[in-house]
Amino acid sequence: MQPPRALWVPFPLGRPLGKPADPAFQINVILAALALLHRDRGPVLEDFPHDVPTLEATEAAACPVSFAAIPEQENSWQARLSNELTILQPWYELSLRRRNGRTLAGVSKETPQENIQTLATLLDEHKTPGDISWLKPAVEDIKAFYYEALTAQPGEYDSDALQHVFWQESSFGEAILVLHDIFDSAPDVQS
Amino acid sequence: MVRLSDLPNYEREHLLSKNLPPLGPAVWTKAKADLSELRIALITTAGLHYRDAQVFAFTDSTFRPIDGEEDPNNLVMSHSSVNFDKTGFSEDVNLVFPLQRFKELAAKGTIGSLASIHYSFMGAGLLPESYEAGAAQVAGLLKQDEVDAVFLTPV
Repeated sequence: MQPPRALWVPFPLGRPLGKPADPAFQINVILAALALLHRDRGPVLEDFPHDVPTLEATEAAACPVSFAAIPEQENSWQARLSNELTILQPWYELSLRRRNGRTLAGVSKETPQENIQTLATLLDEHKTPGDISWLKPAVEDIKAFYYEALTAQPGEYDSDALQHVFWQESSFGEAILVLHDIFDSAPDVQS
Repeated sequence: MVRLSDLPNYEREHLLSKNLPPLGPAVWTKAKADLSELRIALITTAGLHYRDAQVFAFTDSTFRPIDGEEDPNNLVMSHSSVNFDKTGFSEDVNLVFPLQRFKELAAKGTIGSLASIHYSFMGAGLLPESYEAGAAQVAGLLKQDEVDAVFLTPV
């Protein structure tokens, strides 16, 4: 992009200010970037010298739900995803209360609950969605619903651990991968 | 940005393949005053917008104005990439769009003032040239708002 002044930060993608809910850390990043404004010549590319403090496993807040422990009563996607929805709903509601109503869900026209039902029907019928533009915002909203429910309790969460729970343990994570396979095998869908 | 060594192989190779020629001659404008006198705007490429604004399309070079007086907690993200963490933004909007932090800096007098309107692009899926028209329009709007410097946050 060739910005005239750039501060390189060693933080994970998606976290340019380093650490959520840590105003002091964020201010340090901002001031380091603003200090570049008064350099004599450029372009300037400077390293931010501090990593985000590593979260020890013992310090990280535990996810309130363990999907791995949930016995599968039925094999249909409708049953599996509805089951997760029921388990997560109270945690999502707690998240809304704790975050003063803030949620990232809302990009799709439908609610996460409606989108989960639609997705489950598609998976059970082994179909791709008729309107492909529905899929991305729907999945993003459902992911927001899951992550906000999983982090409803106050505390710091390890993002790698959350990713593991979502992709390796939840039925919804598996559902996305199965939908990918359905797209791959659909003759009328081009990549 | 993240360390390349902290990325999975597929993401590292994806980013390293984005080796484009320079956009043009490097630009450089000296700051015209002390930080405490500068007016600053925020620009992000994180695909942010208020909930009732138009969502970004899968590839989209348009931008959304973000009123600095509105509650940033109502910002949502319709970025098309799934290759970055969103759990932190879900916890704290300032992690990506530090409007509250800049308001604090303005209140303390560390910076002169904040722009009245900030801007959000969705940086994915298009070559940089695609954004030229939108970027030029935003540059004009920033001049109109008497902005001296921009704080840009990519994701």
